[in-house]
Amino acid sequence: MRQSLHLSLVFTVNPETGLKAAPMAEWNAYYQNEDEEGEEEEGEHSGRDYKITGRDSLVFLVDASKEMFIKGEDGEPSNFDMTMQVVRTVYTSKIISSDKDLVALVFYGTEESKNPRNSFKHVYVYHDLSEPGAKRVQEVDALRGEKGAKLAAETIGSGETSLGDALWCCANLYSDIKLRLSHKRLMIFTCRDEPHGGDSVKDRQARTKASDLKETGVVIDLMHLMKPGGFDISLFFCDIVSPPEDESELGLQLQPSDKLEDLLKRVRAKELKKRALARLNLCLGEGINVAVGIYATAVAARKPGSIKLYRETNEPVRSKTRTFHTQTGSLLLPSEIKKAQYYGGKEIVMERDEVDAIKKFDDPGLFLIGFKPMEKLKLHHHIRPAVFLYPEEDEVKGSSCLFSALLKKCSERNVFALCRFISRRNYPPRFVALLPQNEELDEGKVQITPPGFNVIYLPFADDFRTLDPPQFPSASQTQVDKMKEIVSKLRFKYRSEGFENPVIQQHFRNLEALALDMMAPEEIEDLIMPKVDQIDQRLGPLVQEFKDLVYPAYYNPESKPAAKRKTADTGGGAEKKPKVELTEDELKAHVQNNTLVKLTVPVLKDACKQFGVRTTGTKKQELIDALIARLRS
Amino acid sequence: MDVGLTMSNSAPGEESSFELAKKVIQKFVQRQVFSETKIELALVLFGTDSTDNPLSQDGQYQNIRVHRHLRIPDCELLIEIENQVQPESKEGDWLDALVVCMDLLHTETKGKKYDCLNIALLTDLNTQTNEESLEVIINNLTQSGITMQFFLPFPVEEDKEGQGDSERRDPGHPGTGKGLSREQKKNMELVKEMMLSLDVEDGLDEIHTFRNAIEELCMFKRVERRPVAWPCQLTIGSSLSIRIVGYKAVTDEKPKKMWITVDAQSHQKDDVKRETVYCLDDDNETEVQKDDIIQGFRYGSDIVPFSKVDQEQMKYKHDGKCFAVLGFTKQSAIHRHQFMGSQILKIFAARDDEHAGVALSALIRALNELQMVAIVRYAYNRTSNPQVGAAFPCIKQDSECLMYVQLPFMEDLRHFTFPSLENKKFTPSDAQLSAVDSLIDSMMLVEEDENGEQRDLFKPHRIPNPAFQRHFQCLHHRAVSPGTPLPPIEPWLKAALDRPEVITERCQDPLDVLKRKFPLTEVEKKKKLKTSAQIFGKESEESEAKKVKEDEAEEYNLANIAEAPVIVFISLFGCGDPRVLPVCQQLTHRIEQLLSNKNTQYYMKSITCIQAFREQSVKLANAEHYNSYLQSLKGSIPNRGLEVFWELLVQDGLTLISKDEVEGSTVSKAEANQFLVAEEQKEEAAPAPVEDTGDVDDLVSVQCLFLTCLYFYSNTCLCNCCDSNGVKTISCVSTWGVCDVLSSQI
Repeated sequence: MRQSLHLSLVFTVNPETGLKAAPMAEWNAYYQNEDEEGEEEEGEHSGRDYKITGRDSLVFLVDASKEMFIKGEDGEPSNFDMTMQVVRTVYTSKIISSDKDLVALVFYGTEESKNPRNSFKHVYVYHDLSEPGAKRVQEVDALRGEKGAKLAAETIGSGETSLGDALWCCANLYSDIKLRLSHKRLMIFTCRDEPHGGDSVKDRQARTKASDLKETGVVIDLMHLMKPGGFDISLFFCDIVSPPEDESELGLQLQPSDKLEDLLKRVRAKELKKRALARLNLCLGEGINVAVGIYATAVAARKPGSIKLYRETNEPVRSKTRTFHTQTGSLLLPSEIKKAQYYGGKEIVMERDEVDAIKKFDDPGLFLIGFKPMEKLKLHHHIRPAVFLYPEEDEVKGSSCLFSALLKKCSERNVFALCRFISRRNYPPRFVALLPQNEELDEGKVQITPPGFNVIYLPFADDFRTLDPPQFPSASQTQVDKMKEIVSKLRFKYRSEGFENPVIQQHFRNLEALALDMMAPEEIEDLIMPKVDQIDQRLGPLVQEFKDLVYPAYYNPESKPAAKRKTADTGGGAEKKPKVELTEDELKAHVQNNTLVKLTVPVLKDACKQFGVRTTGTKKQELIDALIARLRS
Repeated sequence: MDVGLTMSNSAPGEESSFELAKKVIQKFVQRQVFSETKIELALVLFGTDSTDNPLSQDGQYQNIRVHRHLRIPDCELLIEIENQVQPESKEGDWLDALVVCMDLLHTETKGKKYDCLNIALLTDLNTQTNEESLEVIINNLTQSGITMQFFLPFPVEEDKEGQGDSERRDPGHPGTGKGLSREQKKNMELVKEMMLSLDVEDGLDEIHTFRNAIEELCMFKRVERRPVAWPCQLTIGSSLSIRIVGYKAVTDEKPKKMWITVDAQSHQKDDVKRETVYCLDDDNETEVQKDDIIQGFRYGSDIVPFSKVDQEQMKYKHDGKCFAVLGFTKQSAIHRHQFMGSQILKIFAARDDEHAGVALSALIRALNELQMVAIVRYAYNRTSNPQVGAAFPCIKQDSECLMYVQLPFMEDLRHFTFPSLENKKFTPSDAQLSAVDSLIDSMMLVEEDENGEQRDLFKPHRIPNPAFQRHFQCLHHRAVSPGTPLPPIEPWLKAALDRPEVITERCQDPLDVLKRKFPLTEVEKKKKLKTSAQIFGKESEESEAKKVKEDEAEEYNLANIAEAPVIVFISLFGCGDPRVLPVCQQLTHRIEQLLSNKNTQYYMKSITCIQAFREQSVKLANAEHYNSYLQSLKGSIPNRGLEVFWELLVQDGLTLISKDEVEGSTVSKAEANQFLVAEEQKEEAAPAPVEDTGDVDDLVSVQCLFLTCLYFYSNTCLCNCCDSNGVKTISCVSTWGVCDVLSSQI
């Protein structure tokens, strides 16, 4: 590991140079492969859709006045400290989940000035708009805690405030970016409701700049922090921030955040731009189309794919894939390629466009079949993560009203809507259950669950496997009661965001360590590891009592008696079956009669070895195909 | 199968028994072929003109032909059935044929292991039979454990058929007794006698009609996979463990086979090879050897080299297989829509271990009584990633198990907020709500019948995956009739995916009411006027993605050609160079070159050229070259299939230069406006762009002049200039494309 660490030479990509082509090529290749394999993965990936829609950007505009550095009572962190914590969290989560997004960190009310053309005083651009990287995380870390406050005092200091200048400076950050930006957000972190102390000229200037920014599509949010005497938005900030999406007063009635968790939640809720996977119609009947957007609210985060680098310079390389004819060596055009499947001893060949056409049943959309009572939705009818449905008033006017009525009635009557769903062009249909979900807010009026339908994918007959369940006598009530005691002892409150993925966390810690030349990666806590000691302690004697009730004294669940019995059962021949070697004639007969499927995988593998057939696959079908190809030629 | 004389008889407008029987066999074989079962199959025809069977001797067992011996069915058989099984003109004794089949089964299964033997007989029973042997046959069948199935054109008993689905009864269906010949009646009795004396429960159930059989066989067999046991131990803390075994119970089943790529001519996959090469991202695209490539990962803006060996060493490791309880929680805390993964596992106690059975049962029942679930750490094996999931108790009449489903990690969740729907604008009125109410009433798929029993009209989990059905239908078609286009989706499948007819009828009125109560108007898409520059601006980011897809080398060169001439042109033309004509020709030549690639990206480049051409012409008050080129270009549009390109041109308002602009022009303003309107008189719908273009046009000209000046007088980046000069963002956007072109050259 040491070795790898000193080898690490980090190659930083400037988002504005052409170098970014390489990772995208990678993405592309990745998707191509996936298509090739007929995968029907519907989840979106961070790298996928920004190509079409542009990138998201987020500017943290943080007040650096003295007030921000005042520590709370009982050693609570200062507002500044809390803000840095949030910035750090956002940086790292962006790195993991959407590393193409651009983030900036700007301080205002500083003593020092630092901005691109140094035309603004008391504005300090700590990080300009760019993809967050390891170094930036480290730099934000440096501003945290006691030491951080000191460092901040030294480097940026606290001075005069002109929010107008700060906003103007941010506007320049946006316009300096040559990439297409799809979503521009600016978050102001402050605990001062009158930043200019009543200076009406400065107030007006700030308002003008804010409205300029909003005009260019920047959404301005206020993350107001605790201030003695309360934070009064109406004094000044109500004219600065963007009106909330739904034109309700909701946004402004928020209490200031005084807890990190609260602030984080608030930032999280806004930080990600929601993007529809698709916009399509929910058809209730002829001519009754409700426009809806489909959103993925839970997508399995995966370790991102690797990037190929040139050993000498560590620069990314591009890959080019070519298809050519084995014999003539000439490149094959798409028209010179067809697709085939092997069934019943025959190569069945189709044109490439026919392969797509087979999958097409209808145009994308949702079609209502009917309604069913909620209890008809079985727990085990699950084949893939759900998606979320929300009306698109911009596409079909009146959608929200009908959607809202449907939602209300389904929820009231405790029914779900059963629909036929085609999610994309040339995708076969699936049936889905639309489960109503009402809006829920927490005490701070922050939305916990949005209003809309959850779309549950339902299995087809093919998706069920026939099991032969073993049958056992049921436990007695005493035994059950003892287990109930155990269960009650180990009760906890499950929260879906409570578990981090140790695999991904470890991966990024490793990268972080390598990127920052750390000696060793930061330790991760594996949250999905059972806390055995705690469990044992809580249960105390209950375990033994339960075991005494269900297990006889001689029984040891850790041993594997059944396995032994099994070999004994097969009768006498406990020793391994003698290796069956097939003669060429036998094999040919199998090919002739299509009986290769009857052979076992080991036998097939041996046959492959025997006849020098090289296979990459280990699946039975692959072995069979390889053998057939060999023996027929 | 009986292929004899009477099988071809049919009432007018109806399919003959022969055709129906053939369909039954086809569907059956088709099913076996595509589900790749290990069932072996033989085909014996009787009533054939020729005789070919091992028992034929001395005029015995005549007109019976063993068409195919016992083998796994394949495409060859499908083709043979399609082409070679034809009606013939003799009469064959069905009992004789049965004996041939029994003999075949007997001799050809020698030395083979099998689960069961079955004979399916398809006939109209309209033959003379030697019934003396019946008893011997029945004895033999019983002894060798052969089961029988009959497929007949008519039901065995009138009332029996009528019971199940009286509405569906086909009026054309000849009933028993009516219209049956004497032979048929007699044979029917023999069939009944045989089926009742065989050692099967209610043997008459195995007598089917052709029609019912076809309906049932329509569906391709669902993809069957044998569940694989996953033995493990459920642990609670360090000292309580229960031996369990897990099975995948529900999973998103994918097609078993992938498409392989074959050469279009030879249909051989070995003729096609894919190769990936790597190159540096420099101008020469220097190729890099595979050995010189190392792997790296992105960490935000950084790319960190990270060798496979190091990765393997540093990656998260765990102890392998596990099913460990982390704790217990209320079932209501687990949201249905947060189920992750693509499967449900069922967890049982280890087979043959009664103690484990009792222990697990205690847990399942405890959870059930408390309405709780276990939150567990699940790892399939050492190399797979561990998950967090919930184990629900599941108690059925004959079995108890835990049902495991994966739950999300923090990283998987996206907390989106959506505007509240409790908004005055969207709040439905009472009348609207009641309209929805009656719609729900009319569309309830679960209803109670008179006996208080629930009836579900639509069960998706009983429908076979239509993608597979369609897939196999097409494969079958291609195998049997190569060279013909693919067939349409089968009607039964279409119907299975649609609203049940009862519902469709019932919901008609409520839907009409709903339609009246809820006005839905499609928002007129403001025809997004894409100016070339906007598209180009967008393209500049997209292009990298495209570059990968297309042949890159070629793209690069052309890209250079595309951008260079504009610069050269502007400088030459702009300086009033006397060699205007050759420059124009050079430019138009490039435009033509670009247009030969039918691709938006190239179109955009052409448009940039034309735009520059136009601006400079106006500036120099020389409309002649430009106008004549544009006119000839327009003329060639339909022939070259460049309508899309023309549309872009129209959107950008790149029309002829009119008198208003350049005095020497022979074109009036009206003519210039009219010029862009396409040949067919579709103006009614299309005038908007023409009108709007005025605006865009002005804007673009300002920009282009601006750009030209800029090229000559300044080296500053364009975008910054736009901003500091206070040019509005929109103009900034539209300069993007050109800006990219220029700045890359500067």
